[in-house]
Amino acid sequence: MIDIPHRSSWLRLAEILYLLTISLSFYFLVLSRTGEAHTVWEVLHPALLSALFLASSFLVAVSLSSERIACKMLFITFHSVLIHSFLSVIFPAGDFSGQQMVLGRIIRLQNDALFHGWPPGPFGSIQVEIFARFGGMNFQGAITIALSQMLSVDLLWVHLFLVPILWGVFTPIAVYLATSTFASDDKVPVLASLLISAFPYATYFGAISVPNSLGYIFFFYSVCFMLRYLSSNDYKTLVLVVLFSFFSLFAHYLTGITSFSLLFLTLAFRAYKNEKAPKLTAKASLIFSFIVSASLLPLSLIYLRLFRPITQTAFTLNKFYELPLQEIVSLALIGELSHGFDLRTVFLVLLGSAVAFVCMIYLLYDLRKNPQTRSRIQIYLLIAAFLLVLVDYRILKLFMEELPLNEERLWVFRDFLAAPFVAVVLYAVVLRLSTSLRAMSSLTPARTRIKKSTNHKSFGFFGILLILNLLLPILIGGWITYSLNAAYPRLSPLQTTWYELEAVKSIDETTKEKYVVIGDLWTIYAGERIVGINNPRAYYFAELDKTGLDLFTNMKRDPSSRWMQDAMNITDTTVAYFIISEPRLGTTEFNTVLLKTIQSGLRWRALGEGKLYIFTYEKSNSLLQWHLTCDTKYV
Amino acid sequence: MENKFAYKLESCIRRDRFFFFSLLSYGATAAIFVNTAILGSTALGLLSTLAYLLINAVFLGTAFFAKEDGFFRLTLGILLLIMLLGFIGWIMIVLYTFNAVTLTMALVIVTTISSVLKRTVGSKGDRYPA
Repeated sequence: MIDIPHRSSWLRLAEILYLLTISLSFYFLVLSRTGEAHTVWEVLHPALLSALFLASSFLVAVSLSSERIACKMLFITFHSVLIHSFLSVIFPAGDFSGQQMVLGRIIRLQNDALFHGWPPGPFGSIQVEIFARFGGMNFQGAITIALSQMLSVDLLWVHLFLVPILWGVFTPIAVYLATSTFASDDKVPVLASLLISAFPYATYFGAISVPNSLGYIFFFYSVCFMLRYLSSNDYKTLVLVVLFSFFSLFAHYLTGITSFSLLFLTLAFRAYKNEKAPKLTAKASLIFSFIVSASLLPLSLIYLRLFRPITQTAFTLNKFYELPLQEIVSLALIGELSHGFDLRTVFLVLLGSAVAFVCMIYLLYDLRKNPQTRSRIQIYLLIAAFLLVLVDYRILKLFMEELPLNEERLWVFRDFLAAPFVAVVLYAVVLRLSTSLRAMSSLTPARTRIKKSTNHKSFGFFGILLILNLLLPILIGGWITYSLNAAYPRLSPLQTTWYELEAVKSIDETTKEKYVVIGDLWTIYAGERIVGINNPRAYYFAELDKTGLDLFTNMKRDPSSRWMQDAMNITDTTVAYFIISEPRLGTTEFNTVLLKTIQSGLRWRALGEGKLYIFTYEKSNSLLQWHLTCDTKYV
Repeated sequence: MENKFAYKLESCIRRDRFFFFSLLSYGATAAIFVNTAILGSTALGLLSTLAYLLINAVFLGTAFFAKEDGFFRLTLGILLLIMLLGFIGWIMIVLYTFNAVTLTMALVIVTTISSVLKRTVGSKGDRYPA
């Protein structure tokens, strides 16, 4: 809402409508909760995206108004929390894989720290022990367990919503603070803090509770205070820079290393700024610092093997020898998006960065013409950081192999650094349109020498109303809502289902003895959700544990108590369970395995209308008590 | 902060006259301990945790972000508090264990650090309205 008569009443109306639509969106999201789905798109309430689109549009209108900044930011955090909570609200155990693996380890951490000390050894070497003690899992685990105990809330709920809420609240504020270091108008940082939600990769990592996501949050703040440090002599700013960089390293090595790379670059920029008349040597040292900073991440990943022997990262030119030129170019330009190319996803993922890149080029050109611009050095640092991430991504993607993580994680850094520039562009468009419309409404009568009429005034008023208060909010709100299409996957394996969780829960509630469960990866994920991983009382093998995989394969091929006996001997337990489910194995294999297992004489029970079967075998062969308490038929 | 109640409350906590809010924070810690060890009530846990977070976040916000607007001071204070809590919790986990007693120890340490930082770091340079 820009300079419209009766602004306050328009503004109040937009705020009320925003609060109404965002509340409806939350309600529709809760209604979308399901126990069995592959992706959020299968079960999303039909009205949710419409309500969210309206909420986003009203929010854009409020963001461009003269409302207090605190109020705007509060509204933005509601919106941000909502769009990052899809996975945690809709699926019964959050997103499969990473999020559940971390939960499994946090539950184990809680149990082991309580009873056996943490981290469990032996480690083999001092470096591995350091990594085990300082790994981000412990830090996230400490926060999750502390909050869970303080609130007396189940660990699962705290874990599921930890990152979506922290990200939803703190990331927009970080973007605001970073943008405010160089933006001349205070509406630009607000717009930037809203626009970070239009970047799909940033949205996805804000939706899953993993240490890397926590690391991103601390990284964002380290960048904010680095930008401030360039023009501040306050020691607190430096303390905050170091503190946030340290915590980003503490949470995850990727964010920590990138943070320290940028810290090095910041120090170089500060030294450059303090030069009274920067000479050629000062500029050369800046370029040298950029090269050193850019090489820090690839080199650190190589030496990560000292602390994490499983990592075998190395530089290589294999991709250039093995891949055709076309594929190398696609990898360099759009990375993993080149696999299963989808134009819409590519467009949504790259749009923001492309706009930001064009804006950066324009700003560089503009700053050359106006070298006395107040926040010149902050803009240079942001552009340098953006370029550093682009360069590092290409190095990791094309010149390295066996990386411990997906290179596309660097896109979250890129998105954070791009958001302020996209806001600058959009706000420039808003201002240009506003000026043009005002000029039209006031100058047209003078030019044509026609007496000012109320028609022209109303044209100007409605023109501004239409374009600035309807069209732009609709466009930006639409972009933010539409970008969710690329943020949340459209193809995915079946998420952990209610009957898998029910199976794990009923086994745990009804088995008094120590037990082991033989199952596929999905059973392990479900187990991690309830009892954690490698729990000596309720043992689930780790996801990549070969013993567990072999036992499951053997049970499928030749179901007999022999493998269950082996599992009990290996894990020092007295009861063994074997779980199979139809959606995971496929109908044909499921029926074959089911028939053979029943014929082998193992006791069984069915769950989920026959989609899942639990087979059991006890070491002492005595009658199990647990099945008697189950309400389902036990044969 | 336009909201007068929130502004007054924040000013009171920032002043912390006679260590009233520091003591209240220790009181909230005691309530958390009793709740964790005996009662297990989510309502009591939520109430005492909110009180704990609010007081210590204002302390840390005052110490490091005195120049910021009230909203940013509070949210950045909460972020620092979570970092500090995670760090002390991590030390507890790695060195010893993490149960109701060590959680309470961690909360007491965090409160003490926040209160001391507010009185030392926060009092240098940036003054806040009396």
